[in-house]
Amino acid sequence: MGMQKSKKVLLLGHFGVGKTSLIRRFVSDSFSDAYKVTIGVHITKKVVDLPSGTNLSMILWDLEGTDELHLIRNAYLMGTHGVIFVFDVTRPATFQNIQRDLDIIKEKVKKAPVLIVGNKMDLVDPADVKRLLDENEIHSDYLTSAKTGDEVNEAFLEIASQLDA
Amino acid sequence: MLEKYKTQFIGNSIQFVVLDEKGLVRESDNTCIPLKTGDSLKEFHPFFESLEAIAPEANNEITFNCIHLESEEKELITDLVLRREDNALLLVIYDLTQHYNEYQSVAQARNESIIQEQLIALKNIELEERERFKDQFIRNFSHEIRNPLTSIMSLTQVLSQTDLTAEQEQMVQYLNQSNAQLRLLLEDILSISMISSGKLQLVDKEFNLIKLLNLLTFTYNTKAKEAGLEFVAKIDEKLPQIVASDRLRIYQIITNILDNAIKYTETGQIEFSVQLNQKRANKANIRFEISDTGRGIPAAQLESIFTSFTQVYDTDKEQGSGLGLSIVKGLLKLMDSEIQVTSEMDQGTRFFFDLNLKYPLPSSQRADKKDEILDTVVRKNLKKDKYKLLLVEDDVMIQTVVFKFLSGTDRFFIEIVSDGAKVMEEVVNTQYDLIIMDINIPNISGDQIARLIRDFPFKGIKDIPIIGVTGTLYDEDIAAYKAAGMNAIIPKPFAQEELLKVVFRYLK
Repeated sequence: MGMQKSKKVLLLGHFGVGKTSLIRRFVSDSFSDAYKVTIGVHITKKVVDLPSGTNLSMILWDLEGTDELHLIRNAYLMGTHGVIFVFDVTRPATFQNIQRDLDIIKEKVKKAPVLIVGNKMDLVDPADVKRLLDENEIHSDYLTSAKTGDEVNEAFLEIASQLDA
Repeated sequence: MLEKYKTQFIGNSIQFVVLDEKGLVRESDNTCIPLKTGDSLKEFHPFFESLEAIAPEANNEITFNCIHLESEEKELITDLVLRREDNALLLVIYDLTQHYNEYQSVAQARNESIIQEQLIALKNIELEERERFKDQFIRNFSHEIRNPLTSIMSLTQVLSQTDLTAEQEQMVQYLNQSNAQLRLLLEDILSISMISSGKLQLVDKEFNLIKLLNLLTFTYNTKAKEAGLEFVAKIDEKLPQIVASDRLRIYQIITNILDNAIKYTETGQIEFSVQLNQKRANKANIRFEISDTGRGIPAAQLESIFTSFTQVYDTDKEQGSGLGLSIVKGLLKLMDSEIQVTSEMDQGTRFFFDLNLKYPLPSSQRADKKDEILDTVVRKNLKKDKYKLLLVEDDVMIQTVVFKFLSGTDRFFIEIVSDGAKVMEEVVNTQYDLIIMDINIPNISGDQIARLIRDFPFKGIKDIPIIGVTGTLYDEDIAAYKAAGMNAIIPKPFAQEELLKVVFRYLK
């Protein structure tokens, strides 16, 4: 058996972008269309076996969505190893200030790698999203659908690999 | 006593746990979470697993708000305080589940409402973009089609004035009919586009209502006879003669309904009734009603007939655009009215609507007089035998058509210029009596040239009548051309008599 590590991963982004759904898809491979607003923070855990042989215990902090990232309580951010920033590809309001949001995250959570994920791809034409993101010069690492599961595991495993390095 | 009350109020909601440096439970009062000495909190909830990472960054005391520590047994939303005490850690757990659940429902409603607003705003942007695209498409399409249509229509007219065999004459007649239908279709598409984009503005002016109704009666009496139908007009004698409203649009509404009535009636009669409902405060409420003895409209389709491109029956008798009733509905809405319909299969259909028209006006007879003056102007005797006319047009076919139309009268010397940049030179060098000018010509547009001419310092040039010719029929464009100094605008396509009527009106 390989080495076991425990890493804290924050999911950040505006409300209603699907942070909770992404975690639910990744952890329990399930999905619900009902939207329940997260308040405070829900913490779940998934242990993944990485190709390096590491058992990585991912402690996933699902933070209440907000467009005021600078107001996030510092206690939530302490000890963070990695961040997944999630936006909703169907709502430009969730990504139009992405650079400002990322700057805040990098300021608050120094050194932690940040993965950018556009969610709800099942609701749109991928070509439209690509055009929209290109037009707005927005980079995304993964375009996911928590509903279909598309690219969800890939995104979480990518951040896990980065934390293992 | 106070301690007793405090215990009653907070007793079940705060738990104290003492942990050793490894995070194992030393002591717990088990108020919220059952823990045994030696238990590892990491096993209880993943939150505590992250404390290992948090600890190095934390001060002596750290507070976490709104942490969900739910287990399979129960929902638990807490505030947590972690404090270093000598060689131990004190964990205080505040059970605030009820408080946070109340907050959750408020946040739920707020977030849902904001998301909904964002999605609606996005949808509106999308709809506006689509509408803009449609509008632009129709605008360009109707503009581009007008040049070839003008050529086809006008050349057909020219052709009909040549020596033709009976068979050729018949074919030219068919061509004329198709041209008329095509033109009507184009006008309808433009109307519906202007109505739906909110660009159509009513022009309220005084006009003689009785004259309009007489004109309609005369026109449709003839049309009905041609179709083997009887036409009955019932015009209320109490109707005001002069009213103020948009004459053109009222005409368009009534003709659309009357055309439909004739189209869908094979035998029997068409009745056109206009009755005064009431007069009050300088306003006459008038009921317009058109009924036929046609085949009727199925009840299920009574709503959809007012939707664009709806036709109840496929008929060979006459092709329509399927836009007529949609236009009627849109125009009446602009006039704060509504079209009503009742129908019985094989018995007939009855359309009616009420209009509130302003009357009488201080200058109540002015509209009538103006009509007469206009007639006089058109029929006036011209001073010269021949007039010098400049045609500014780059389309060779339109040049040919206008040339043919005008030269047939033998009253004109005609010069043609096809480049906008050469117009001023031509105008300065030759004393023209009138200019016919296409708006879209190469190098400089017709309205810009009109502005240059109007700004010219010499009389005889600055006051040359300019008649604009355009495929654009949007009110805002027409207004801009007139503001640039054009005396009149002739929409493409145009017939010979339409062109001549306007040209003669402006000749001195």
